[in-house]
Amino acid sequence: MNAMTDKPSSQPQNLRTLSYSEAIREAMAIAMEADPTVILMGEDIGVYGGAFQVTLDLVDRFGTDRVMDTPISELGGAGVAVGAALTGLKPIFEFQFSDFAMLAMEQIVNQAAKLRYMLGGEASVPVVFRLPAGSGTGAAAQHSQSIEAWFGHVPGLKVLQPATPEDAKGMLLAALADPDPVMIFEHKLLYKMKGHVPEGSYLTPVGKALVRREGTDVTIVAGSIMLHRALEAAEQLTKDGINAEVIDLRCIRPIDHETILASVRKTGKLMVVYEGVKAFGVGAEISAMVAESDAFDFLDAPILRLGAADAPVPYNPDLERASVPQVDSIEAAARRLTRREV
Amino acid sequence: MTQPDNRPFAIRTYAPDQLREALKRMYLIRRFEEGAEDSYMRGLIHGTMHLSIGQEASAMASCMELTDDDKITSTHRGHGHCIAKGAEVGRMFAEFFGKETGYCHGRGGSMHIADVKTGNLGANGIVGGGLPIAVGAALSAKRLGKSDVTICFFGDGANNEGAFHEALNMASVWKLPVVFICENNGYGMSTSIARSTSVKHIADRAVAYSMPGVTVDGNDFSAVAEAVHHAVARARAGEGPSLVENLTYRWRGHSKSDRNRYRTKEEIEEWMTRDPIARFRAELIAHGVLDEASADAIEAAAIADMEAGIEFAKASPAPSISDVTRYVYAEN
Amino acid sequence: MPVEVILPKVDMDMTHGTLAVWHVAPGDQVAKGAALFDIETDKAAMEVESPASGRLHAVTAKPGDKVAVGTVVALIYTEGESVAEVPAPPVAEVPSSGPQPIEVILPKVDMDMSHGTLAAWHVAEGGSVTKGTALFDIETDKAAMEVEAPATGTLHHLMAAPGDKVPVGDVVAHIYPPGMAVGPRPARAAIATPAELPPTPSDPAPMPAPMMAAKSIAHSGIDGNVRATPAARASARQAGLTLAEVKGTGPMGRIQSDDVTMHLEGQSGEICGSTPVGPAIWSPQPGPLHVSHRMGAGIPLVLLHGFTADSQSWAPFEKALGPDQPLIRIDLPGHGRSPRRRLRSFADLARMLVEAFDEATRTHDRVHLLGHSLGGALALAIADIRARNVASLTLIAPAGLGPEIDGASLLGITRASRAESLAPWLRRLTATPEGISDDYARAAMKQRNDPALRATQADMAEILFPDGVQPFDLRPALARVECPTALIWGRKDHILPYRHSLAAGGDFAIHLLSDAGHVPQIECPDRVARIVERHQSGALAGKR
Repeated sequence: MNAMTDKPSSQPQNLRTLSYSEAIREAMAIAMEADPTVILMGEDIGVYGGAFQVTLDLVDRFGTDRVMDTPISELGGAGVAVGAALTGLKPIFEFQFSDFAMLAMEQIVNQAAKLRYMLGGEASVPVVFRLPAGSGTGAAAQHSQSIEAWFGHVPGLKVLQPATPEDAKGMLLAALADPDPVMIFEHKLLYKMKGHVPEGSYLTPVGKALVRREGTDVTIVAGSIMLHRALEAAEQLTKDGINAEVIDLRCIRPIDHETILASVRKTGKLMVVYEGVKAFGVGAEISAMVAESDAFDFLDAPILRLGAADAPVPYNPDLERASVPQVDSIEAAARRLTRREV
Repeated sequence: MTQPDNRPFAIRTYAPDQLREALKRMYLIRRFEEGAEDSYMRGLIHGTMHLSIGQEASAMASCMELTDDDKITSTHRGHGHCIAKGAEVGRMFAEFFGKETGYCHGRGGSMHIADVKTGNLGANGIVGGGLPIAVGAALSAKRLGKSDVTICFFGDGANNEGAFHEALNMASVWKLPVVFICENNGYGMSTSIARSTSVKHIADRAVAYSMPGVTVDGNDFSAVAEAVHHAVARARAGEGPSLVENLTYRWRGHSKSDRNRYRTKEEIEEWMTRDPIARFRAELIAHGVLDEASADAIEAAAIADMEAGIEFAKASPAPSISDVTRYVYAEN
Repeated sequence: MPVEVILPKVDMDMTHGTLAVWHVAPGDQVAKGAALFDIETDKAAMEVESPASGRLHAVTAKPGDKVAVGTVVALIYTEGESVAEVPAPPVAEVPSSGPQPIEVILPKVDMDMSHGTLAAWHVAEGGSVTKGTALFDIETDKAAMEVEAPATGTLHHLMAAPGDKVPVGDVVAHIYPPGMAVGPRPARAAIATPAELPPTPSDPAPMPAPMMAAKSIAHSGIDGNVRATPAARASARQAGLTLAEVKGTGPMGRIQSDDVTMHLEGQSGEICGSTPVGPAIWSPQPGPLHVSHRMGAGIPLVLLHGFTADSQSWAPFEKALGPDQPLIRIDLPGHGRSPRRRLRSFADLARMLVEAFDEATRTHDRVHLLGHSLGGALALAIADIRARNVASLTLIAPAGLGPEIDGASLLGITRASRAESLAPWLRRLTATPEGISDDYARAAMKQRNDPALRATQADMAEILFPDGVQPFDLRPALARVECPTALIWGRKDHILPYRHSLAAGGDFAIHLLSDAGHVPQIECPDRVARIVERHQSGALAGKR
């Protein structure tokens, strides 16, 4: 029943489209129908439907016992989810904003991520944390961050970043099937994005990146909303005869080394585009990984990282836009890279 | 009209066999920790450890009515809880010695000692770390329709962590079957309750979360057993959580690097006269549950178990170096 | 059984402790919990309590002894227990069987020091030493240093000779305190001489043979300082090529992988003999030269492009010039959209251009004339013949003012059949290689995709610039020209040297542009347009 899909569905007869948030909701509903141990927890996820309406109406279908509004207690709430996961439930815990996960770092990092190891494999914590992330909403510094890379540093966690409605559903179902804690960073600006979403249950493989656009001149690795910006930039670049390969990172931990390395061996040029702060981020990990690998010898230009400015996310819309990579900045960087300007 | 039974709660509630087993386990806790301390001093144990010598009644009496399906969450001072919940000292020593046969296959050590099969979800190196987890375990029991309860051990230090307050609040809001047991040994490392905590008794905190809160003499086995008995019954009946505060004392320092600069020798000696094991043993003898000879035999048996445990640990294999990343994720 | 008194671990990372003092003498009574002895660790001193009540016996560690954690240092016998023989001393580091000579070790005197070379002894074997006086010298990588005697007495058992390289901590001699009998020389492994030293971890690991081979071919010492991408290094390594030989076309002269490819292709060309220009696979086409117009007001400007370019190459300049002035662009034969024509000489070509000029400017009394490179020579030729029709003449890096020209570039451009091989030659056109991007080269190659066009131009190059020389000389024409004339030349022109302008006779303005190469109208169109504008208006003002 759980078909594995590793390619974007090739044009089928049934082109049903859903929004990203509908796809996530459908995944939750499918999982809750199939497995009575799946519960939802989070702040205002019941009748309110969650800050971004992702859980809308689920409380009507599954009741308040399974769609639990928690107090404003991120640390405690996340810890309850961890304890419940440890003892037979499969909680999906929604942080209202990914920024609020910082209140729960203790339970995520010290407990959820480490329990299996500390207990020598005798315990399992199948909890799923959902985290609405990213800038572009004018919510400023404490409600706009992209902190996924922080969790990339924590052994024991899995960190996913769906870019499409299809992946948003498949990744959530895959996370629920995973015996370890999984963090899914959902981009707030993608919630309304529509796309084909297969019916029924399917799992997006965890730890597999996907070449979304094949090309020969430069490899652009991007995830979440940056994938769409990179794809748009890649289209612009064709006007100059630049043929960019765009990889949807999809998973920050574990990271798919081989897909990236294979592409770099082909193009000789690498750009990593991500919304988190540029320094010490996803780009650093991927750049270093390539530099340490045999693909190093295929590099024909320096590696470029495009990340957020070295500042909190600003409020002013122009500043906010300028603080993270956009289509034009990705395009310009790729142009410089392929034109030997860096 | 029947005569009122004036015997202590434990004596009138539990069968003699249960009481003798409780004494045996209290001796086992004491001897285990002394054995661990000795092994540490001989350089056989890596790292540090936090000994609960002097607190055995709190651990054992709190676990009297638990089955293997009931859960506990424990603390960095968790050896006693682990033994009280039913763990084998051999596998505990093996864990302390960092051996593959240890409860955590040598990955956890003293501070993360656990025995999931007997319902011990683990000692925790983070003060207050176990509180929300215990509430989660209680939530599982409730959602899965089980009558299991969770006992959440924590120290006096944890009562000032945010996690304590969030956990008690949620447990109360959702009426979850959890019993919060504060082992108040007077000091969070070196800082005394008086210097750190705004309420006189930590059980006073219960009022804020609409749950019963009692403070008992944590070195009186029967007093602890009685308080926890009511809390467990309330939890199993679906009436929600309770807070029990056991006043006790650790004879040893906070950890092995403690130089005891914050308390006096007199204070330590005064508490040693209230040895919970000696008191329980005397009580059992006084009420005819056992005699001196059988008490000695029980203690000897505990020592034998401890020595056998050390031998088992010494003889056990160490984990393979190549397995350093094993158990980070589930194995397929 | 007596109770063992051990040296306990009292600190997390403790492996040894020093017994500081006994509080109880051997044979004395001690109570459980009473202070028994003190130990000192790196961090703290600590009192150890007696583990049992009884009499203390079999004390095996004395104050100052450094003892391993867990070592039994004494026994406590309870009342009535018979005291057994003293067990063999298990003290870890200091054998307590009688007094011992003081060890002289090679000390660590530098943070990252693992060995030191003993330079000289200040005291001979058997000589007497005083604590604190110079005993021997050591040399490390960084410094020489005097080592003082750790004790007073007589020096014996010298175990290292001057020049020996000794690991830190090794005993190099013994000092016997006064009165102590000199013991036998201790048996120990000979101190390793430098030659015998095992490789230290910092020594480079032996390199696999294939890598060694590749490295020696690549003259690693030189290549290390060459700016090159990993991919270029890899291909150079594979080809056994020294990167220093390769010309880099990337930023700051960085060698990229296609530079290596180009270099190898060039090399193979040299080895195999110069590749002949392809046979004339083109045939002449009928029709007039192609002329394009831009409408506007005022006197038109006639534009003549250079060799291998076409009228489209004026685009940046046109943009800089503004939209008002009418323009007349002529494509040279075999260029752009003009028909391919056979020609025998420069004069032949000049005649064709005069013809096209006449036709294109029929409706105008006078025009401004601007030519670049070969087009400059042709413009000069036209101005020489049609003096009355030319209001002003502007020559950008014109040909025909001297014999030198970069023939290799001309040849390279006409021969190139791929963007990769075209780009490096195009990059010679500009002041710095960065002026021409890969995209520009690709676009340029697209214009040159027709092999017939390339063959036509290759043949033209042979006729116009045989052997890389400009055989035609327009200097007399320049000296004769009557209309206001300006020369614009980039000081970094690699194709035609700007010095030609200085050497030529005649009345004309010279604009030498710093940081411009052979194509200033592309490299800095605004500057060129301003010069042209001023020149044109000046010429008209002069006329009035």
